[in-house]
Amino acid sequence: MQQTESQYKRPKETRRSVLIADKVADKTITIGGALVIAAVLGMMVFLVLKVVPLFEGGAVQSHREYSLEMPGSRTLALAIDDLKTIAVRVSEDGRITAWHVDSGSPLESPRFDLQGKQVTAFSQCIDQRHMAFGFFDGSVRFASVQFKTEILTPEGLPAGLKELSAGDKSDGRAIYSIIPGNQVRKTWIEVELEEPIQASASNSPIIALDYRLKHFGERPSKTLAAIDRQLVGVAMRVESKLNLFTRKTTLAVDKAELPALPAGTAVTHALVDEGANSVYFVDKSGTVYRFNTRGLEEPFLAEVLRVTPSGVDVNVFSFLVGESSIVVGGSDGSVNIFFLLNRPDAAAQDSLTLVKTRTFAPQPAAIVGFSPSEQSKTFATLDASGGIRVRHATSERTLVSVRESGMPRSDLAGMIVLAPRVDGLLALGNPITADFWGLSIPHPETSLRTLFGKVWYEGYPEPTYTWQSTGATEAFEPKISLVPLIFGTLKATFYSLLFAIPVALLAAIYTSEFLDPDLRGKIKPAIEVMASIPSVVLGFVAALVLAPVVETWIAAVLLVFVVVPMSLVLAAYLWQLVPPPIALRMEGIPKFLFMLSVVCLAMFTAYHVGPVFEDLFFDGNFKAWLNRDRGAAAPFWFLALLPVSAVAVSTGLSRLFGQRFNRYIRTLQPFPAALADLGRWLAVAGGTLAASYIMALVLQGIGIDPRSSVVGTYVQRNTLVVGFAMGFAVIPIIYTLADDALNSVPDHLRSASLGCGATIWQTTIWVILPTAISGVFSAVMIGMGRAVGETMILVMSAGNTPLLDLNIFNGLRALSANIAVELPEAPKDDTLYRVLFLTGLVLFAMTFVINTIAEMVRLHFRKRSMQL
Amino acid sequence: MDMESTNGQTVYHIKKGPDGTLLSIEHFDLWYGETQALFDVTMTVEKGFVTALIGPSGCGKSTLLRSINRMNDLISGLKTDGKIVLGDTDIYGPNVDVIGLRKTMGMVFQKPNPFPMSIADNVSYPLRVDGIRNRKVLEETVYNALVHAALWDEVKDRLRDNALGLSGGQQQRLCIARAIAADPEVLLMDEPCSALDPVATAKIEDLIDELRGRYTIIIVTHNMQQAARVSDNTAFMYLGKLIEYGRTSTIFTNPKVDRTRLYVTGRFG
Ligand SMILES: Nc1ncnc2c1ncn2[C@@H]1O[C@H](COP(=O)(O)OP(=O)(O)OP(=O)(O)O)[C@@H](O)[C@H]1O
Ligand SMILES: [Mg+2]
Repeated sequence: MQQTESQYKRPKETRRSVLIADKVADKTITIGGALVIAAVLGMMVFLVLKVVPLFEGGAVQSHREYSLEMPGSRTLALAIDDLKTIAVRVSEDGRITAWHVDSGSPLESPRFDLQGKQVTAFSQCIDQRHMAFGFFDGSVRFASVQFKTEILTPEGLPAGLKELSAGDKSDGRAIYSIIPGNQVRKTWIEVELEEPIQASASNSPIIALDYRLKHFGERPSKTLAAIDRQLVGVAMRVESKLNLFTRKTTLAVDKAELPALPAGTAVTHALVDEGANSVYFVDKSGTVYRFNTRGLEEPFLAEVLRVTPSGVDVNVFSFLVGESSIVVGGSDGSVNIFFLLNRPDAAAQDSLTLVKTRTFAPQPAAIVGFSPSEQSKTFATLDASGGIRVRHATSERTLVSVRESGMPRSDLAGMIVLAPRVDGLLALGNPITADFWGLSIPHPETSLRTLFGKVWYEGYPEPTYTWQSTGATEAFEPKISLVPLIFGTLKATFYSLLFAIPVALLAAIYTSEFLDPDLRGKIKPAIEVMASIPSVVLGFVAALVLAPVVETWIAAVLLVFVVVPMSLVLAAYLWQLVPPPIALRMEGIPKFLFMLSVVCLAMFTAYHVGPVFEDLFFDGNFKAWLNRDRGAAAPFWFLALLPVSAVAVSTGLSRLFGQRFNRYIRTLQPFPAALADLGRWLAVAGGTLAASYIMALVLQGIGIDPRSSVVGTYVQRNTLVVGFAMGFAVIPIIYTLADDALNSVPDHLRSASLGCGATIWQTTIWVILPTAISGVFSAVMIGMGRAVGETMILVMSAGNTPLLDLNIFNGLRALSANIAVELPEAPKDDTLYRVLFLTGLVLFAMTFVINTIAEMVRLHFRKRSMQL
Repeated sequence: MDMESTNGQTVYHIKKGPDGTLLSIEHFDLWYGETQALFDVTMTVEKGFVTALIGPSGCGKSTLLRSINRMNDLISGLKTDGKIVLGDTDIYGPNVDVIGLRKTMGMVFQKPNPFPMSIADNVSYPLRVDGIRNRKVLEETVYNALVHAALWDEVKDRLRDNALGLSGGQQQRLCIARAIAADPEVLLMDEPCSALDPVATAKIEDLIDELRGRYTIIIVTHNMQQAARVSDNTAFMYLGKLIEYGRTSTIFTNPKVDRTRLYVTGRFG
């Protein structure tokens, strides 16, 4: 001691290098921490920024106002080309007025030569290009206004062009627009008028007309509904056929004459769908006459009903794109949408009926104008006081109020048309003013309601939560409810935790409390290795191996859940029968192996008993039973109620006889005592079976069937498989953390409890678990967080069907899997793209809530056991 | 060991050995893995007496104490040889009900170890383990045990509070109350006063004095005065061996072995 004292003098000053190192470390850690926090916050902000536009509706970006020379009579139609270059007005005398949208400069344009015949009815297709005129003599002529474009080089520009606005020039007939890439786009108008077709058999004037055009490649199919002054309606399908040899087109006309409407009906609107299945004629006062014209062979009047309250006229009666939604605009400013739905109890002969499915915020004056979009369920309405609203049918939302109602000028109530890409709106006053608004409506179909609420989609019998982002047809409307996805995530989480929590916690209790520490040191890392299996491998194995296996041996798999726990309990009782000296020597590995072999034996038994079990409980075919094809509900209830009745019977028996039995059993020698204990167990088992059977019969008697709720039709990639696979991913996490938590309970508590004469199990349940509960709880929560965020297993083994179905044998689609599956389909900044970001945000919120709850509960518990 | 049922509770009735012996330890060896911690310990404990175990730190006092109620079983790699006979049963023999054995022996540990539950629940724990749910029985036991452990006055208003809120000395007395509540035959105390101030120590010594005759007490202590004050017999251990065992008065005034004298007079240790 004295030696070292003389050799080494400890300096009492801190060295500079130590101080500097300390400063540097301090700063580095501070900066690093701040960066981490900033990164997390940045992520949040980024996600929110990506999502916010979904809820913004739309905005007016520009406004032009000009007065135009409008020769001729009443306006019949307006049209704008795709790129908002030229606007066109068609008037009753067949004259066409065209002008440059930006400046209002008139363009010279051709005209329809109607040969002076008086137009008595008119219809414009949803593409704005095609139209039909109905004449006084009962004939109909199809016409079209085509916007032609051509890309030129700047050298190809003709001389002497007049500058109209920035980038746009005109020679009086066409517009030359400079476009990116040093090119010029020439836009001009061409018109076409077809030969007349006789629609009215009695040559009386056509009073209402509707025209649909569908292109089957080169062969357009035209569908027409018309009604003449005699109130005789007609439905027609006209197909032009090109003879390849003669190069002549011939018209094939299918025509069905409809029964006459009651005399005195003032028909103002006609409507027909593309397939000519239904024809509607609407009386001004709001009565709709619906004819079933399917096949055009035996048309009949199927339904007569009012679509407005009495005293309210129908001013708009028109389809949206897809021809399922009928927009009805009333003279009271109301806007509603009707679906033609199949209702078996409907009064109509064809069991169809018009059902009002959507109601929009009314406008203060009568609806007088309407324009649908060809691309989406967006439409615009104009009221008599000049108010213009752009709305979206599905979200039932007013996206933009383009012009406020209540203008003192009644001359604003003319006609409106939406630009084809819903990025502009043209309103024509009566007689001569014109307004053009540039619009920006990037995500018309999203709202809190469509994302999280029930939506009544076209073709659906009732409002639903549906996710279906892409479809086969162009008229398909994306259905973007996140509810089935959230449900899918919760369902997958619930079922996998239902499987994982008991297994993981029991395993943790077993290894930390019952197992020899040496053995624990070997088994724990082995289980932890499970956590390092990539989830894609788990998903892959689950989908390609596990799913078919489970499907083939479903009965055996279900049986395993009953047989394995029961046989473990049985084995524990049998173990008591082993003479203590031998049992003592067999502690450790031999006992562990014994338990393992019991589990294997149980599985083997389940596998062999499976078919018998299926015969006994499910009429020989579990899947047919699930489909309700055969069998009754009682056997299932019997199985499902087993755990409940086991708990009930065992607590009941121990309440009644427990004390007396325990006293009795203490007087016995170990072997008879163990036998008596086994006898008690058998009694409990028998009682459980009986109780469960009686309850099952009662439930069946009441008529409660589990099928089509928690169980139902079997799908190969189902939630049970997901539960297994995800359980595999989650069990090691919960196990490791729970085992650590249990193991970190100080040994002196264990000694205290054992010193009081408690058994290990009692010690675990009464002392160790309550003390470690915060750790065990956070283990479960972290496992849950993992399950919620898990992706690959779900993508591969969950079937990805976005259903709202509790059925454990059906698939699901989770939020995380949805992002993975849909991402390739989502172009940047598209609605789907942003909705996927929203999906991510919802997922983030869910894990955030779970973690916050976990942390709060953990802290609450930790305060209690802090002083240990 | 004999068993008898009185009002629903099984009690081990331990018969005294020939000369009033309750416990006899015969040629007992113990190994922690490869290291031997006890060497050929032989001693007898008389029923109703207080026996003190003294000796320098690490000499195996706690080990011996834990061997008596087989708390050492939890330690892996433990080996024993020889016998410990309680009444007429070798507790290391076959067919021994270890749980039942521990129920006859209350244990108080060196470090207070109350459960993280309420004071009352702590004390009634041994009874609840036995499946006793009768509220009245539990309350009575809690009261008696706390009074005996000289803790009742301090905690009577906070029986439902968490035991971890008590001071170290109170916690130790609570652990003693818990041990008494089980109504054991033997009370094993491992330095029960090491964490206590003189006042609390005195209280516990009074308690031991009071329990004398009713329970057989084995107490490990480093405090020579304490051993001299409370014990009837004293065993001196050194390096895992029992050096000397006899009446306390003899050990303290007239030891046979030199090392014992040096130790009790504080000149070695
Ligand atoms: N769990 C154990 N594993 C291995 N060795 C142990 C263990 N417990 C005690 N020992 C060793 O056994 C010997 C006796 O220990 P013991 O705790 O019985 O001493 P003690 O007399 O109680 O000491 P103290 O007075 O300090 O409490 C010591 O050398 C100790 O290191
Ligand atoms: Mg000690």
